[in-house]
Amino acid sequence: MSDKIHEYLMVIEAARYISDGDVVLVGTGLPMVASLFAQKNHAPNMCYVVESGLIGPEVIPTPVSVSDPRVMNKAINHGTLISALGEILHRGLADVGFISGAQIDQYANVNSTVIGDYNNPKVRLPGSGGANDIATHSRKILIIARHEKRRFPEKCDYITSPGYIDGPDGRKKAGLHVYDPDINVITDQCVFEIDKKTGKLFLAKIMPDVTIEDVKNNTGFEIIISNSGPEVVLQPTQNEISLLNNEVDPTGVYLKH
Amino acid sequence: MDRKFIEKVMTASEAVEQFVSSGSIVGIGGQTIGRCSMALAHEIVRQNKQNLILVGCSMSISMDLMVGAGLVSRTECGTGNVESFGATMRWRRAVEEGKLEVRDFSHLSMAFRFLAGSLGLPFMPTKSMLGTDLISESGVNSDSYIVMDNPWQNNDPVVLLKALNPDVSIIHAQKADKYGNVVIEGFKTHEIEMAKASTHVLVTCEEIIDSDEIRSDPSLTTIPYIYVDAVILQKWGGYPTSVYHHYVHDADHISLYQKVARVGGMEYQKYLDDYVYGCKNFDEYLSKVLDSSSKNSLIQEMDSLLE
Repeated sequence: MSDKIHEYLMVIEAARYISDGDVVLVGTGLPMVASLFAQKNHAPNMCYVVESGLIGPEVIPTPVSVSDPRVMNKAINHGTLISALGEILHRGLADVGFISGAQIDQYANVNSTVIGDYNNPKVRLPGSGGANDIATHSRKILIIARHEKRRFPEKCDYITSPGYIDGPDGRKKAGLHVYDPDINVITDQCVFEIDKKTGKLFLAKIMPDVTIEDVKNNTGFEIIISNSGPEVVLQPTQNEISLLNNEVDPTGVYLKH
Repeated sequence: MDRKFIEKVMTASEAVEQFVSSGSIVGIGGQTIGRCSMALAHEIVRQNKQNLILVGCSMSISMDLMVGAGLVSRTECGTGNVESFGATMRWRRAVEEGKLEVRDFSHLSMAFRFLAGSLGLPFMPTKSMLGTDLISESGVNSDSYIVMDNPWQNNDPVVLLKALNPDVSIIHAQKADKYGNVVIEGFKTHEIEMAKASTHVLVTCEEIIDSDEIRSDPSLTTIPYIYVDAVILQKWGGYPTSVYHHYVHDADHISLYQKVARVGGMEYQKYLDDYVYGCKNFDEYLSKVLDSSSKNSLIQEMDSLLE
């Protein structure tokens, strides 16, 4: 199985966590692609919401931004940031929140602000955007990122968006209303899932042809495996591959063709 | 905010001269590749307004241009981002080199600060940012928030976000009438709350419409005239970002900007010299970078997305 197929499967697998009818707060980058795939594949009645205020569009492939007119197509409302992140998300109406990030740690905290020290940054990243809001208020959180060791440190240099913060009660102690969300981290090698008893990620699924050793070698935090061991991610069907290729990212904006 | 029902049409040069001062807190409209207030950003750079504090949600190349020109002392925002085109590179470098003070918030928190400002309230509570470094890291934002318990419930912390009232906001819209009734089509992000919180609002638009059109369907008015000080007719005023119903973003020019912004130094200075300082107004810049066939293709691509 090639890297390309793993990348495709990362997007397809992430989309499988979106159910038809879900209200999904979609962050920029790969979440836009995976959510579009879900909308076209199995969740035609999902409500795609982006922070710029766009609610329920039929997205035209392939948006490069949350302000792209492709995300405005046939929306039910062109609203404001507060209509999306306030009245839907902060209100508690988002079934799924979908983000990406530069670092993801063992508690599923996400950093999109800075590599190194905040006051003396090695690399300054764009910042929270809506990601903090999405990870704070969604009942289910999906995080998608290409698997590289530096992306998965034991501890984020900076916590932009909360996972379980520092343990099973981390969110509760911090006062978050959604204190025990489901969290899945989908990469091109595996799927991590939050264990609500420990507040830590464990290896729930592994991509076909990827070994646990591969994941260990590419991850900065300890890999926890359940007694039953990781499942293997379901192979993509030919239909799924061609949908992704031809109707979701036909010009290869996000995925190598 | 000019509550008088008078004609407010002027040039970008007049508007910036009258309403933007060195040291102003400037609210930045638009988002990443969409409807950024580029014409007014160019004019602010041309008039060399200094020590600006730029505030907004997703601040893009309009912000980056002012940072790159050395005019900004601080930003308060959610992101410096051009999404698939990368980070805002002059901003990023300035932060990395310690030349720019930056205060980070989540997007909703910034919008709530503007909302409080727009309502004349001192603060707005939120449950965002709790438990993260956005409110704990070094306390740089700490004069802008207080964490306290919900007065009606124990052990329920809320973040009180201090109201933010920009001295002046710059926005590019599709339409306005000569009195400053503004119609924004498509996404509206944080701009309505930000404009209503601002002391002054400057609006460039693709088209000045008859006031009868505003009154024939008032539900379409995004910002009523009482908040607006200046209306500037500036076709392509969001270029190279997109303006819904008019034109898509110009990926080539955004990439060119990102390339010089990444390199910095002489190459960036040349961009500013050629396209900002060396142009007497935004139309002259447009004539250097856009011929009629490239204009047509950006218009046609937008049309094809609207079919």
